Order: sequence, then C-alpha cells, then structure tokens
Amino acid sequence: MDNIAGTKSGLVWATNLSVIFLVILWLVPTIGLLVSSFRDREQISESGWWRAPFAVEQAFRINPEPEGVVQEGDLYVLEGNLFGDAGSGAVAGFGITSRAPGAAEPGMVYARFIVDVEEPDGTIDDTRLELAYPADGEPIFPAQDEDGNTILAETAVLDRALQVEANGDFRYLSDSEIDRAPTIYITAETPPEFSLENYDTILTSDNMDRAFINTLTVTIPATIIPICIAAFAAYALAWMDFAGRGFLIAMIVGLLVVPLQLALVPLLQLHNRIGIGQSFLGIWLAHTGFGLPLAVYLLRNYMVGLPRDIIESAKVDGATDFQVFTKIVLPLSFPALASFAIFQFLWTWNDLLVAKVFLPSNSESWVMTVKIADDLLGSRGGDWGILAAAAFISIAVPLVVFFAMQKYLVRGLLAGSVK
Amino acid sequence: MSPIIQGIITVIIGVGGCIGYFYLSNLILDRVIFPPRNDDNGRNINRATMVRPWLFLFPAIFALGLYLVYPVVGSFWRSLFNRSGNEFIGMGNYATMFGEEGFRQALFNNFLWVLVVPAACTFMGLLVAQLTDRLRWGNIAKSLIFMPMAISFVGASLIWKFVYANDPEIGIINAVRDSFGMAPIDVMQIPFWNNFFLMIILIWIQTGFAMVILSAALRGIPEETIEAAIIDGANPFQIFFKIKVPQIVGTIVVVWTTITILVLKVFDIVYAMTGGNFDTEILPSYMMDYMFRDDGRATAVAFVIMVIVLPVMIFNIRQARKEMH
Amino acid sequence: MKTRLYTGAALLALTASLAHAQDLVVPVGEGDYNWDSFNSFADAHDLSGETLEITGPWTGLDAENVEKVLAYFEEATGATVNYSGSDSFEQDIVISTRAGSAPNVAVFPQPGLAEDLASQGLLTPLPEGTADWMRENYAAGQSWVDLGTYEGEDGNEDYYGFFYKVDVKSLVWYSESAFDEMGYDVPETMEELKELTEQIVDDGGTPWCIGLGSGAATGWPATDWVEDMMLRTQSPEVYDQWVANEIPFDDPAVVEAIEEFGWFAKNDEYVQGGASAVATTDFRDSPAGLFAIPPECYMHRQASFIPTFFPEDNDAAFFYFPAYEEKDLGNPVLGAGTLWAITDPSDAATALIDFLKEPIAHEIWMGQSGFLTPHTGVDTALYADDTSRALGDVLLNATTFRFDASDLMPGEIGAGAFWTGMVDYVTGAEASDVAADIQARWDSIQ
Repeated sequence: MDNIAGTKSGLVWATNLSVIFLVILWLVPTIGLLVSSFRDREQISESGWWRAPFAVEQAFRINPEPEGVVQEGDLYVLEGNLFGDAGSGAVAGFGITSRAPGAAEPGMVYARFIVDVEEPDGTIDDTRLELAYPADGEPIFPAQDEDGNTILAETAVLDRALQVEANGDFRYLSDSEIDRAPTIYITAETPPEFSLENYDTILTSDNMDRAFINTLTVTIPATIIPICIAAFAAYALAWMDFAGRGFLIAMIVGLLVVPLQLALVPLLQLHNRIGIGQSFLGIWLAHTGFGLPLAVYLLRNYMVGLPRDIIESAKVDGATDFQVFTKIVLPLSFPALASFAIFQFLWTWNDLLVAKVFLPSNSESWVMTVKIADDLLGSRGGDWGILAAAAFISIAVPLVVFFAMQKYLVRGLLAGSVK
Repeated sequence: MSPIIQGIITVIIGVGGCIGYFYLSNLILDRVIFPPRNDDNGRNINRATMVRPWLFLFPAIFALGLYLVYPVVGSFWRSLFNRSGNEFIGMGNYATMFGEEGFRQALFNNFLWVLVVPAACTFMGLLVAQLTDRLRWGNIAKSLIFMPMAISFVGASLIWKFVYANDPEIGIINAVRDSFGMAPIDVMQIPFWNNFFLMIILIWIQTGFAMVILSAALRGIPEETIEAAIIDGANPFQIFFKIKVPQIVGTIVVVWTTITILVLKVFDIVYAMTGGNFDTEILPSYMMDYMFRDDGRATAVAFVIMVIVLPVMIFNIRQARKEMH
Repeated sequence: MKTRLYTGAALLALTASLAHAQDLVVPVGEGDYNWDSFNSFADAHDLSGETLEITGPWTGLDAENVEKVLAYFEEATGATVNYSGSDSFEQDIVISTRAGSAPNVAVFPQPGLAEDLASQGLLTPLPEGTADWMRENYAAGQSWVDLGTYEGEDGNEDYYGFFYKVDVKSLVWYSESAFDEMGYDVPETMEELKELTEQIVDDGGTPWCIGLGSGAATGWPATDWVEDMMLRTQSPEVYDQWVANEIPFDDPAVVEAIEEFGWFAKNDEYVQGGASAVATTDFRDSPAGLFAIPPECYMHRQASFIPTFFPEDNDAAFFYFPAYEEKDLGNPVLGAGTLWAITDPSDAATALIDFLKEPIAHEIWMGQSGFLTPHTGVDTALYADDTSRALGDVLLNATTFRFDASDLMPGEIGAGAFWTGMVDYVTGAEASDVAADIQARWDSIQ
C-alpha cells in the first residue's frame, strides 16, 4: 500500500511539474507582449523585453546652450550642469564623439589635440588625437598613433577639452569661439522605465467608447444567433432520421473550408441589392453565415455522443422531438454550446476583415479592431508598443468571457452522471 | 446609445425569432397540418416525422446556402475565366498554376502544415487537458494556455517577432545563442525549417482550442468506467490510453478536422512574418497575393484548397455513417 | 416628445457647427494664404446639405491633415465631407467599388490600381478641361496628365486621376552631428557617394542602414533603390520602356540597375547587421541606427515620409541621392503621389476636384507637414519648415522626374513579383535569375 501511495504522490508531483513547465512555455511569449505593452517604441527596438526590469547603460547626446561663455587666455570656456539646474543624475562616462560616448570617467579631462606626426617615410602630417587624463594631471601622449606614425608631442595644440563630474557639472574648453551649442556625450545608467502611455493612447482616443460599444453590438448577436440556429440543425443531423443526412454533413464539412475572402464581394453586392447595405444587420447575418458550419459541425458531433437510451426512452414516453431537444438535449449540450460560444465570440471580437467590409467606413460605426488598425496604428504601423497594448486590451474581454463560461464547461460532469 | 438599444432589440428579435420559429413551426406541424386524429393517426405522425427535420434544418440551410454555397458556386464559375473575367479559359488558371514553381512550393509547404499543426495541437491539447483534469489549479493553468487564442493573429505575429528576431537585443532565441557565444541566426531564413518555426506560432495559438474541447469531452466520460478500471488495478497510463482515449475518439477527430481546416484558411501568420518570402508561402497566403487582382487565379487556388479537404470530408462522412448504426 | 426631438436636433446642429469652427486651422483671411482663391470658390459653389464620402490611404497624422484641408471645402460649400482612411485601402476600394458601395471620391496611392479600376468602368472621367488645367498649372504638367489618363471600359482614353500631394523618393537621410564629427561631406555625385561608403568602412563604421521588411509587402524599399539606380544608369526613355515592359525585365539595363543596388546592399561591410539582415529588418525600424550612439550606420535611402518613423530625439538631415557624374543624365528624381478619382459621381465630387485646383487647397496642407506639391501657383513661403522647402527644391531642381515604377506596373509585378524578387536577390540569388523570374511572371499575366 505504501508503495502505491508513493507512486501516486510521485505522479501528482510529476503532473504538477509538467503542467508548470507547459504553462511557462506557453506564457513566455505572452509575457513578452505584456512587458512590451508598457514600453515605448524606442525601448522595444533597443533592448529585449527580458531586460526591461534592469537598469541599462545608455548613451545620450546633450547640447548645452552656449550661454555665459568666458574667455580664459586663448581658450573659451563654457561651464554649467548637463542636467540643467536640477543637477541630479549619475554620469558613468563621457566623451565628445558619438563613436566613443563614454571614453572618459567622471572627474577626468577628455581632450582633443591637433598634433603633428612623422610618417615612416619622414613626411610630417597633422592628426587629431583624443585622450583622457586626470583633471589635476597632464596629458601623456603615446609614442605612436594607431597607424604607426611617430607622434611629435611638443607640437600638440589643444582643440577642445571636456571635464564632466558625476553629478553633471561640466567644463568645456575650446580654442575657437563657442557660438553654437557644443555636443557632449555621456553614458548613464537608466532605470527601467514603464509607462501606461500606450494604454492611455488607446483608451482615451476619440470615440474609443463608441468603438467598444460597436464591438459589443456586433459580437453579441453574432454569437447568439448562429448558436440558436446551429443547435436545432445539429440536433436534426444527430438524432433525426431522414434521407440526405450524410450528404448534408459532408456539405457542412466542405463548407468549413470556404475562404471568407471568396464570399465578400458577392455578399456585399447582395446586401446592397436587397437594401441592407453596409449595416449592423448585414454584419450579423454575415457572421452568422460564416460561423454556422463550425457551429453545426461541433454541436452535432457533441450531440451524437449523448447517451442514446435517455433520448430513446423519452421518445417512447411520447415526447416530441421538440420536447426532447429543449428538455434533454439542450441542457446536456451546455459544455459544447459554451465552448462554441467562446470561440465564436473570440472570432467576431478579433475580426477585422468582415467588419471593414460589412460596416460603413465612417468613424461612427468603427469597431475596436478597425479603430486600432486604421486609426491608431495606421501610418505609425511600426509602433509595436501600441500594438502590444491593443492586443492586451482586446484580450481582456474574451478572457472574462472565458472565465465566466468555464463554470458551464464543468457541467459536462453532470452529463456523465445522468447516465 | 442607439446601437446598444438596437443591439439589445436585435438579440431579442433574433433569439426570440429563432425560438419562436422553431416552436411555432412545430406547433403548426403537429396541430394544423398533420394533426394526429383518430382516423389517420399513424400516417400523420409518420408524415410529420418526415417533415420535421427540415423544419429544424431550414434556417441553417438557408443561411449556409446564401452565405457560403452561393458565393462558392459563383467563385467556381469565376475561376474558369481569365484575369479580367471576360474570357472563358476553362481549366486554364489551374493549368498555369500547377506549372508554376511558386505554387508547387506553396502546395508542398501546405501539406507540411496540414500534417504537423493539427497533430501537434491535438496532442498538446489532449496532454494539457488530461494533466490539468484533476489539478487544483487546473483552471488557472488552462486559462493561461488558452490566452493565446484570444490574441489577434497580428498581435501573435508581433510577439513571435520578439522570439525570432535576428538582433540578439530583441529576439530571445538569438539572445540565448549570443550568451553561448554563437553567431545570431535568422530563423526565418533557414531553408525548410523556417516553415516549422512559423507552424509553432499557430500551434501556440490553437492548442487552447483543442484543450477546451477535449477537456469538456474528458469531463463527459462516465465516472463508472474509470472507477471500474481502477478497481481492476489499471495504472494511470492504462486508464488514459485504454479507457479515456477510446471514449473521446470522436471528439479528437472533430478537433483534428477543425484545426486541419483552420490551417487551410489562415494566411495571417505567414503574411505578417515573412510575406511568403524564403520559400514559406502556403496556399492561403498565395491566394491572398492574387485576391482582388486576378480573381480567376485566386478563386482557382481556393478550389485547390477545397480539394485538399476532400479526404477529411470523406473521413467525416464515414464517421457519421458509423455513428448512425 | 416633439420638443425633445427639436432640442436634440438643435443641440446636434450646435455641436456640428462648433466642430466646424474648430476645424479651420487658419481663420479665413489670416496670413499669406491665397484667400482670394478660397472666396471665389466659395461664391461659386453652394452644396448645403450634400454629403461627400472620401476614402484614402492616409491614417494618423496624414488623415488629420487632409481633414484640415477638407474643412475648408466644407466651409466654402456647406457640404459635409466624411473622410475615412485605411491601411488596407487597396483592398477596400476594390471590394467597395465592385460591390456597388463605393465612396464618391477615392484617393489612390498607386496609378496602377486606378488604371485597373478605370478599365473595369468603375471610375468616372474628370470634368472636361481638367487635363488642360493640369498641363498649365502643374510643374511638368503633361507627365502628371499622362499618369492619370487611362483606357476606360469602352476602350476610350480619358483623364481620371487628379494628382495632389507628391512624395520625393531620391533622398538619403543622415545624422548631421554624426557626419560633422567624422568630418564627412555630403556627396554631390554617385562616385563621391560610393567613395564615402568605402571611407566609412575604412574608418571602422557601417555606412548604410537598409531594411526591406514590411510584413506582406516585404521587399518594396528595394524596388525604390532599383528604380533610382535605373534613372542613374539609363535614360528616362529606357525607364519608361521598362515600366511598360517594352524592354523585358531581364534586359541587361535592368539587371545592371539591380546589381548597382546590390553593390550597396549585398556587401556585409556596407550594411548594418550584414547583408542577410537586410531582408528581414523592418523598414520602419531600420533608420533608428542613424541616431544610435554610437551610430550603427551613417546613411539611409528613403522617401520623404520616413521622418515619421525617426526616434523623437534626432538631428536628421537629408541630401539628394546623387547621379553619376560620368553618365551625364542630369539630376533625375524619383517620386510618387496620390491621385484623386471619382468613384461615385455627384456634384460635390466634381466640386471637390475644382477645389483641389485652388492654391488654398495646397497651401493649407503645406502649412502643416509632410506635403509637397507641383502646383506652380502656390506661395512656397507657406511651407511649414525648411525641410519641406528643401524637399520642394529637390523637386524643382529635378531635370527628370519619374514616377515610382512599381506603382505603375501591374499589381502582380509592382506589388508582388518585384518585391519578392528583391528579397530573393538580397538573400543570395543572382540578379539575372531574379529578373528572369519576374519577367516570366509578367509574361503569364499578359
């Protein structure tokens, strides 16, 4: 007995662990999307979402206003704080070219000299030499530059020099007049940054409430009507005997595969001819038509599996098909109805194509997907942050529906116990 | 506010209309047309039984006929015409298509998709459904795995970009490779295998679907059969494979069929991830390249897709026949 | 009940008129705008109570701007204009025109698509005299007329498309400070550009950022490159023959242009991320490398719309994508533009086309952003910024102007085979093979 109990709890452990593993596997991409929805476009394309919670060293370009320049000897000097008056921040490194934005540490001086070099063949040329040295020390010139030319240190003339303290205080020296903003590069640790801006953009955009209501107006009838129609048809195909039943089932399986795009133009033409035009009524009918094959197919297959003796004994007791259907089959089919309802809801909720074709194109009748795709993403199609936030906003309602429906999915237990 | 009211009214009219239609038509059938009177009681009941299925089926057949059969027939006719639709070319579109390297590539890839995706989704879905069946936090686990179902295809393609991207700063696969000192690789450009990387996206999305349906089916299995097996000393694996799976085989077929058909329709993933480049084209995305430009060709592709479903259709009819007897 | 209805209506009218007043970005009569053109147009047209539906490809900022322009049309005529923009305009307009629910006016980004619809009888020719007006009042007017003239269903040629809003494509974007620090000069000729490319590599940098990724449209940025190269290696006449497929796509001239593009894009040292990254990098993300610190690249060839996708903090500048000095082909400019066509005729639609002739219709958008016009009667001082004015100068200094070839080719080629062919090319295929494939596809649709 102990042995069995042991394997049993071992099995429970294994089950738990493997489910955790699967859930994590499934969740990783979704978490990526969630994290990305709190970041802006630049952050997203700069570092992976898994690095979002950590501080990153980033380089910045700062162009301080050339105000208050004083002349010291031959040199012009500009002093100030890179972060403005506030003077808060932590400079990790600084430089004067974007190629080496963090070339020197705070407290050092980073300077560019124009210096003569002697090439191996004896010709003299001048070159730019950049180097860092302690603020209280003197620059030490290397003997040779990177091309192997000899540096004639005594010819060095200071072109510009920069000194930056960790708190952002800087001192910029130049041998020519500083009449336009000098370019200073610093590197600094930037704390992780998350904002609700993407959500804000979407939720507070004009007419978003209207779009939300429109979406509900489209999805709810477009979910319920096909289920109603399909349930009856599924019952007929599952429990009634008539000629052509097999053919009809085959037809429905065949129709499952009809690509939607094929039907758009002829149907819109039809709607225009009979006066429905582009309207909510039109889109309900369209979603009903497109959703029916799967609804009938799923429901029929579920109903066929219901216990035969219950239905037959009810019929023997004199119940009509209509009574059998409403009193017995329908309640027993609840899990199937609920699961199909979830799927149909999801499809109509996330649908873009049908909404664009069958609803008028003015902003009054935009649904959320159209609003997001055409209005918010539109020409800023590369704004991944907004796209991610939009994906999460559109996920919210279907998830609530799923949770609500899950109770009914469990009713399947009852179906079993009736037998 | 008017759309809300309009919506509520439609739901009431639509749903009420549906129920009203079914109730009243039954009533009329039983009481007015074929009342079971004394003299021809039996005959009338039989007649009513013959008519009733069609009452139940009528709305569905009507809607299907109008919204699917009519466009399909029209489209088939269209596929026999040339690009601008003014010249009958018979099977011309089909002939040129099969002569094209791009189409054959799409067809081949599509077979890969049809073989791999439904199998993988059903397997994963069944696995999750079974594992979470008796788990205390099973519902939470299921919801989390279901979540991708609720993400639009475009959103899904975006998130997988963050997995597959070439840049180790953005794509997680290359970030991992990078940390092992390997050169970044663009998985979308690996010949042949890139198809599988695209399939993973659809599997990730559709496993939730398989899981929900199969989970409901597992719950529907009568407890007695399982209890009996436990008493007989069957181990959990035996219970699963010998008792449970045979009882839900019908549902597995349904899930398999549904996902197969979905695979034949979904073009968004290929469209958004590679645009059909690097030999990843599949038939639905190939069709979209022609849609609204060369309708003759596009509709012809649609019919090739429908022909591919033929085996699935036949299998389902067989299944249905078996259930009847 | 009745009173309630009336108050409701009054309230509606009030909010409508409020919205109206807010919509005008510049009050009538203020500034240097050509108000005479506005007033005379307003006097000549009264369309109160009429509604005009317009669909177009513009969304976001461009949509806001076009609505600002249309607000003046509403103000002048009293008509109500509904503009709706869509990213999938090309698909939507085909569905709606065929299904008989077309808008009054459609704004086509591609002449090829308009030509297609015209041949099916789905467009209405513009009022007589419009073509003459365009010849007189647009710079290079005849070429614009040619681009908007198509064969109708009956086989007669008519003028269908009114060009309004032009983009310049022959531009190279760079970061001013990055060029300054490295001491690079803006190249004046293609020879210099190639030298600069090599010099940047010698200095240890990466010269170019090129990204062809664009979802289903992946590959299109490369077609612009090839078209620009075509104009820089061949005469404009050859370019026209290429567009019309009078010379095959695999003609040595075209193959040479593709290989010219390959000189830049297929060299691992010349492009950021190496040649294999070109095919998958999203075109919207690719210019970001210009402004990275340290710079990931120094130059980016893209049309005038691209600054929308630059990071907020940038010091972008551009120069004209230069021509070969030795070839002596002048300064060719590649461009594109949107054309307005009537899809469902009405008085208001005709009036709108008349409105587009007025300088005020151009000046309002010039005062916003992202708008260039070949209209010679406008005051260029009204351009909102120097960049726009400089872009306008590129347009004016052009010795040759040619429209984006891929927009003129049949959809299967210009928005299909050409795109995918370019992706194949940058990922390793030979230019001649790619060109032959595209020609084969072209043969199959004729």
